[in-house]
Amino acid sequence: MLPAPALRIHISQAPAFQDYEENQNVYINKYLIKNICFGISSHKPMPMENTITVKNLTLRYGSFVAVDNISFNVKKGEIFGLLGPNGAGKTSTIKVLTTLVPPTKGSVLIDNYDVKKEPRQVRSVMGWVASEVILDDDLQVIENLKLQASLQGLHSWEENAENMLEYFKIKETRNKKVGGLSTGMRKKLEIIMALLSEPSVIFMDEPTIGLDVGTRKMLWDLIRDIRKKHNVTIFLTTHYMEEADDLCDRIAIITKGKVVAIDTPERLKAKAGSSVISLEVTENFDTSTLKGMKFERKGNGINIHLKAGGDASFTRVLKRIDLKSVNSLRMTKPSLDNVFLNLTGSTLEEQESNKISNMNFYATLRRARG
Amino acid sequence: MMRETYALFAREVKKTYRNYAVVIMMVVQPLMWLIFFGSSLTHLPSNLLSSLFGTSNYISYLLPGELATGMVFIGMFSSMSMIQDKRFGFLKRILVTKAPKESIFLGKVLGAASRGLIQIPVMIITALFFGVIFRTNPLYVFVWVLSLFLMGIGLASIYSIITMRSKDWQTPGVVSNLINLPLMFSSTALFPAALFPKWMQVLSSFNPISYAAAIGREALYGGQVNFVYFGYLVFFCSLFLILGFLASRRWLVAE
Repeated sequence: MLPAPALRIHISQAPAFQDYEENQNVYINKYLIKNICFGISSHKPMPMENTITVKNLTLRYGSFVAVDNISFNVKKGEIFGLLGPNGAGKTSTIKVLTTLVPPTKGSVLIDNYDVKKEPRQVRSVMGWVASEVILDDDLQVIENLKLQASLQGLHSWEENAENMLEYFKIKETRNKKVGGLSTGMRKKLEIIMALLSEPSVIFMDEPTIGLDVGTRKMLWDLIRDIRKKHNVTIFLTTHYMEEADDLCDRIAIITKGKVVAIDTPERLKAKAGSSVISLEVTENFDTSTLKGMKFERKGNGINIHLKAGGDASFTRVLKRIDLKSVNSLRMTKPSLDNVFLNLTGSTLEEQESNKISNMNFYATLRRARG
Repeated sequence: MMRETYALFAREVKKTYRNYAVVIMMVVQPLMWLIFFGSSLTHLPSNLLSSLFGTSNYISYLLPGELATGMVFIGMFSSMSMIQDKRFGFLKRILVTKAPKESIFLGKVLGAASRGLIQIPVMIITALFFGVIFRTNPLYVFVWVLSLFLMGIGLASIYSIITMRSKDWQTPGVVSNLINLPLMFSSTALFPAALFPKWMQVLSSFNPISYAAAIGREALYGGQVNFVYFGYLVFFCSLFLILGFLASRRWLVAE
């Protein structure tokens, strides 16, 4: 939260805003306030601009702890991913963040609004994309958009909606019933609906679950695109490693209700290990060219471990080694799978398949949730 | 609140009128009652009919009663559409918008009550073919239709409140069997209260269907309206609307 009294001091120091001082109830756009504060030399350093601030969040269903004391921040304009196996607490977390369920403990601020105390304000600054496409199939595309605009209390939304329909290349479906559209089109419409209120953050719960590869790639491009175009923060949950790796600026890895790591995919992977170049060489290979590198040799196979730094050191190695005697070359980068394994002791796939044996446990959980 | 409610109400209405099966189902059921049940007493001696029902054409007596009863059955549809919105997640979509929870509830019951009005013109035209003679004026018809609408809102509210916490497809069916038949038979929709045992007469005197049916008979054939009856329906409607507001604030949550 911005410290309100301090703000008033800043404003009163600025002669241009004396009118505001006279009427303190006047609604001042909070961005404007922030800009003023940045513009005037403020006494306190402004906090880093976080769109989402989660502090010691705990969510319990009865005695079951779905989310266990997690904390993280999401910066403005970031694509932030919550990665974990099914049942790790992703959906529970996103439910709290989207005000659908109040937190048991801890605080969550979305754009400086508290989800528990100011849920309506939170809803006015956020967009939402469901994992299963949720639209009214009996209504036309434009009718769905109109309904969304009315529910969000938007005025003069039409032009914006028409532009987005055109931009997303689904303009021709404007007057068609949603039930007849392809999944890709429906996903696009959901994203347009989320963007309609010009939110500062869009929540996406497993946005690409059950989609084919083409649609998934299309959606990733779209998400990157809208982040840039609309300067919107994106918070998504996923249990696809490659989605987290490819799409997200930063990832929080969650398992059994706890966040075990938060960082950029690159740095997480760097912690998990280095890239390896595997060579298959002939008898004549000159081992002395490998001097100074970390490697091991087994017969004709050589594994060279690259230092962190990625592509630069890769080319450096290639320039130095005796390439004439190399038959084949393969590079293995550390994946988030390694990261996951290191952090949790099992891979994400293993954790997912273990879930089948935990069926009874989940049946109990569902009953507890009611 | 107004805009959100209207948007959700418009959604209900659009969905109804685009689904011909629903429209036909809502019209056919009361029509069957009127035609078949209404004709079943045709050969009773006409002086007996007159002394029992105040008219020698039982269909005249049944018409306002059956239209009132028809509003009970539309309550069931409102709870079914509530369950549908929960199952398909649409409720979640509404809950993450700024729309107040009360508007979700209000949009549903207004949608249900106006859905119940479709049957009125069809039933009246059918009744004309069966020799029913009307003695009325537009004002009384308006008050009567309004009273049906108010009762519809009240009944749809009861259904919505009961199904608000449920996600089960079966709930509306169970609830409607528990509510609809007792409500219908303990009212003066089919037979006058004079024929009832004492305990059913007491039930009937609280039953909103009795009042809506009585207003209908007065308005359509008597050329007058008892505004005390109308007042009772206003009370009935307001009571369950308020309970519905309280319930939606508390119970209308995402699964």
